[in-house]
Amino acid sequence: MLLQTQALTKSFGRLIAVNEIDIEVQKGDLHAIIGPNGAGKSTFFNLLSGLLKPDSGKIFYRKEEITKLPPHRICQMGISKSFQVASIYPLLSVFENVQGALFSTKGKSLSFFSSAKKILVKETYRILENVELVDKADIPGGELSQGDRKQLELGIVLANEPELLLLDEPTAGMSPEETTGTMELIKRMRNERDLTIIFTEHDMSVVFGMATRISVLHQGSLIADGEPEKVRADEKVHKIYLGEEAN
Amino acid sequence: MMLSSSNRWTTLLLDKLPLILLILIALFLPLLFSEYYLLLTGYILIAALLAQSFNLMFGFMGKLSFGHAGYFGIGAYTVALIATNTKIPLLFSIPAAIIVTGIIATIIGFFCVRRSGYYFAILTMAFSQLLFVIVYKWYGFTHGDDGIHAIPVPTFLDSSVAQYYFNLVLIGIAMAILWKITFSPFGYILRCMRDNPVRTEFNGIKLTRYQLIAFVIAALFAGFAGAIFTIFNRAVTPGIMDWTRSADPVIMTVIGGQFSFFGPLIGAVIFLFLQSYILGYTIFWPIIIGSILVIVVLFLPEGVTGLYQKILKAIKQKHQDKTKSELNKY
Repeated sequence: MLLQTQALTKSFGRLIAVNEIDIEVQKGDLHAIIGPNGAGKSTFFNLLSGLLKPDSGKIFYRKEEITKLPPHRICQMGISKSFQVASIYPLLSVFENVQGALFSTKGKSLSFFSSAKKILVKETYRILENVELVDKADIPGGELSQGDRKQLELGIVLANEPELLLLDEPTAGMSPEETTGTMELIKRMRNERDLTIIFTEHDMSVVFGMATRISVLHQGSLIADGEPEKVRADEKVHKIYLGEEAN
Repeated sequence: MMLSSSNRWTTLLLDKLPLILLILIALFLPLLFSEYYLLLTGYILIAALLAQSFNLMFGFMGKLSFGHAGYFGIGAYTVALIATNTKIPLLFSIPAAIIVTGIIATIIGFFCVRRSGYYFAILTMAFSQLLFVIVYKWYGFTHGDDGIHAIPVPTFLDSSVAQYYFNLVLIGIAMAILWKITFSPFGYILRCMRDNPVRTEFNGIKLTRYQLIAFVIAALFAGFAGAIFTIFNRAVTPGIMDWTRSADPVIMTVIGGQFSFFGPLIGAVIFLFLQSYILGYTIFWPIIIGSILVIVVLFLPEGVTGLYQKILKAIKQKHQDKTKSELNKY
């Protein structure tokens, strides 16, 4: 078991966004967190990545408690996160976007006297090849399309050499072709690099096309958890999605 | 886009030309100009280093410090106090000045980097003013308002030409080191922190740690500039580290351009040259520099160097279009 939450709870004023959630993620899983709007998916995700601190409950990663750790420590432990709205460096080139992340991963960030242009160049191109952005290497991040930005962010989180990836709506804003491409990319990356992935999604075709395990949230509580077929057949899940079927 | 090789050389040359010109002029200054300009350039070099070190934090990391003159003053006073109270050779006081500045900057920086934006600026100003007040009031140690004068320097610096080259070489070396740091992986991380601190933190970088390191590095260079100043000026007064002096590197950097490495240097040249020239005609220098600053902020947000880059880009574009249309003829 790679990641475990115990009675994780977070409130904002009187709104209980995340209510005593217990989730287990096994190594190698593609674990989806789904639920209607307002279910608490984003809050839960932010608790996992260290952006928010829970009011109560614990998070364990490889048996170590990481509940109170700051985001940079969580990254150093092997958990890397991509954001719903791709968080990249708009003024830096695509190449520099990934290279900057590699500097941190490979311990070069306190290197004061070497020339940044010459360091970790091959490794950066390898990652750009993986996310199919080599021909756009010199373009500033800010000039990429939405879909390409998400691709770039995938490159950045891969540069963090994580064991566990947290992907917040990885196909948000993508066209059907881009969505399929990203799904294939994620599956390929997971196999090639032995990754475990937790992701949230609204697109059910992506969820059922990729997930090996699904947790369903509703109004802050966990109402279903298990293999995709089991969840798909679950009565409670159907009920909460009634009226959301148009999505 | 393919530029013919002569065009490529032209753009490369144009890009580096102002810098090459400046270096050539600086190297041969004593042959070209009178002693007045030797002195002026000496002060420009020192102010430029102060502004360049300030810009490591401002342009490359995105944090505005309004207290940089404080570290300049610490460096300057360390040299002055060692020279007038001990038998230690003046040149050994330079490393001492750097170390003392570094220690003080580490303590102050620790508190400042934990705040963002405006609070960072105010805190740096407050701490710097605290340093000023200590120097000003501690009459028994620093001679307060009287300052420290007639600082003895080695005899080889008696000639103004020798003093000029002394400044030029030392400050040149300092700028070369600063260049290395700016374009190292560490420097890239600073730019990442500037452009997207959240992403950088999630890439495993503890922001406050790196900001503190950059803060101290900037202060070390400021202290070094102060040390050179004392040797050059032969005297120090508390006024060099008053908070209004901290505005000088800010103004110079804004005018010169914060996103280019040599922006602050260009800004220092413009500022001090204009100042010396205009003060020869009128006392209303502050109005003039104020107006220039307003114009730059409104119309040239990337300063003079930013404007130059834009012009170069336009020329390059024109060349590319011309080459394209010539190729299309065939």
